Amino acid sequence: MEQSHDDLQKHVKKYVKIGIILGVFTIITVGLSYIELPTHGLNIIVGMIVATFKAALVALIFMHLNHEASMIYKILLFTTVFVMGLFVLFYLAHGDGLVFTQFDGYPGTPYGGAPH
Amino acid sequence: MDIPFTRKPRPDTGLYNAKLGVWLFLASEVMLFGGLFSSYIFLRVGADYHWPVHELNVTLGFVNTLVLILSSVTVVMAWANLKMRKIGAYKVCMWITVASAGVFMVNKSFEYKAKFEHYGVKLKDGTILTGHLPEGGYRIEFGDVNKLTLNSKTGDPTYFLEYTKSENPKFKTAAGTEVELTKSAWKELAAEAIKAKQNSVVLTSVAPLTFAVKESATFTHTDSTLTFRDGTTIEGKLINDALTLQVDKVDVRASDDPKKSLAWTYLGTEWQHAFDAHQEHAKEKYKSFDAKDARYLRHVMQMEIHHSTVAEHNEAHPGAGHAAETHAPAEGNHKADGHSSHYPEATIARKDIAFWSNFTPKWNTYYGIYFILTGLHGLHVVAGALVLAYFLLFDTKLLREDPDHLANRIEVGGLFWHFVDLVWIFLFPLLYLL
Repeated sequence: MEQSHDDLQKHVKKYVKIGIILGVFTIITVGLSYIELPTHGLNIIVGMIVATFKAALVALIFMHLNHEASMIYKILLFTTVFVMGLFVLFYLAHGDGLVFTQFDGYPGTPYGGAPH
Repeated sequence: MDIPFTRKPRPDTGLYNAKLGVWLFLASEVMLFGGLFSSYIFLRVGADYHWPVHELNVTLGFVNTLVLILSSVTVVMAWANLKMRKIGAYKVCMWITVASAGVFMVNKSFEYKAKFEHYGVKLKDGTILTGHLPEGGYRIEFGDVNKLTLNSKTGDPTYFLEYTKSENPKFKTAAGTEVELTKSAWKELAAEAIKAKQNSVVLTSVAPLTFAVKESATFTHTDSTLTFRDGTTIEGKLINDALTLQVDKVDVRASDDPKKSLAWTYLGTEWQHAFDAHQEHAKEKYKSFDAKDARYLRHVMQMEIHHSTVAEHNEAHPGAGHAAETHAPAEGNHKADGHSSHYPEATIARKDIAFWSNFTPKWNTYYGIYFILTGLHGLHVVAGALVLAYFLLFDTKLLREDPDHLANRIEVGGLFWHFVDLVWIFLFPLLYLL
């Protein structure tokens, strides 16, 4: 993508701004982790939402994914689908969904209860 | 040979070739780290221990996050500056990026070193003491040693004699000759034994020997024998087999009745009172929590002892109900020589230890995934920095003759660099904070 001198100048300013936003959100992430939400699971979810937001800024602005050739999105579509698959694998193991047995849980472990 | 489409995009893909290449590579990198993050979920969900929270050095992790963000900004600015032909600014930005990678890795090495030198001792009832070993580490003391049996093939006197307290001990062979176990003398003895098809060489010590053996140098031991890792067995009497630990954290979460737990016992009276006060204080602070909540247990059933903590700090909570005589200063009972004088020193009998190790993958699966993820990420930091440093230092001809081509290189190297930052954005909260 060819860009004019003025465009680039504007970009540089934007990069600095995004950098500052990322720094601020890092402080927020650390701060939030010391606040005890009703469950620790909530802490994890909130933390991951903030992290995803930060990651999106890096991907969209620094990696120019807000305006790229369509080829790149096609490649990334595959990756995204498979990675999402990796992240739900644990749920299959947790409920042992393949043979439909119920997981009773072990008392005293953080995940003691049976799944819903 | 001329590589096509290094500057202008290829019409069918709409990209210059290197960019398509790096995105394909990044797609596979996403899968690589995705698999490891998936492992993290499995290990965390399946952990049969309390998953550590805020156990790593948060300040160091936080600083490293800022360093990576800074370098991400500078690498993309380097690209933009080069596009605008601001060569000076381009170089400055590149130098900052590469230097940031250096700072990141130095911080990381401090973090790793701290873990390698930090030990956990899991006691037989599941309660845990963590801390540092005093100089020399864990030593097993063994006395009245008269008889030594060395393996003719693997025996190595230089290995085990290091742990004797006597200098230049003398030995008698079965034939009655007196020898000093130097390297060459042992070589001869061993050669003779092998010639005579004897698997071992038995030696008697002229004077009884005393050993203080590093635990890691032993293979096994009983009250009367000890076998070294080179196969040498000594016969004598076990004098002392206890691990001395400068305790910096007590964890009694595994115990229903903390005051009967082993960890509690090993704390000693004054620190028991400090723990009492700490618990009262924490119970009050977290009273809204369910008593089985992992976080309640984390705060109430654990006590961290910092450099500046003194046992008498329970004075601040008179409501805890302690008699004044328990408030002896912590230093009173410890040697006043070292920086460690504030930490209670526990001498833990072997029979009470279920498992002990430093904080490496051996300790638990958390440290397993921590070292794998941060280690692999660290390798990426090093690799990315090397590539960028190469562009900065050795692509001077390209900078003069075809800056647009170099700008594309910087963009591609930068894309990889941003990816490294992106991985860290998830690693930091998952391993340090949550």
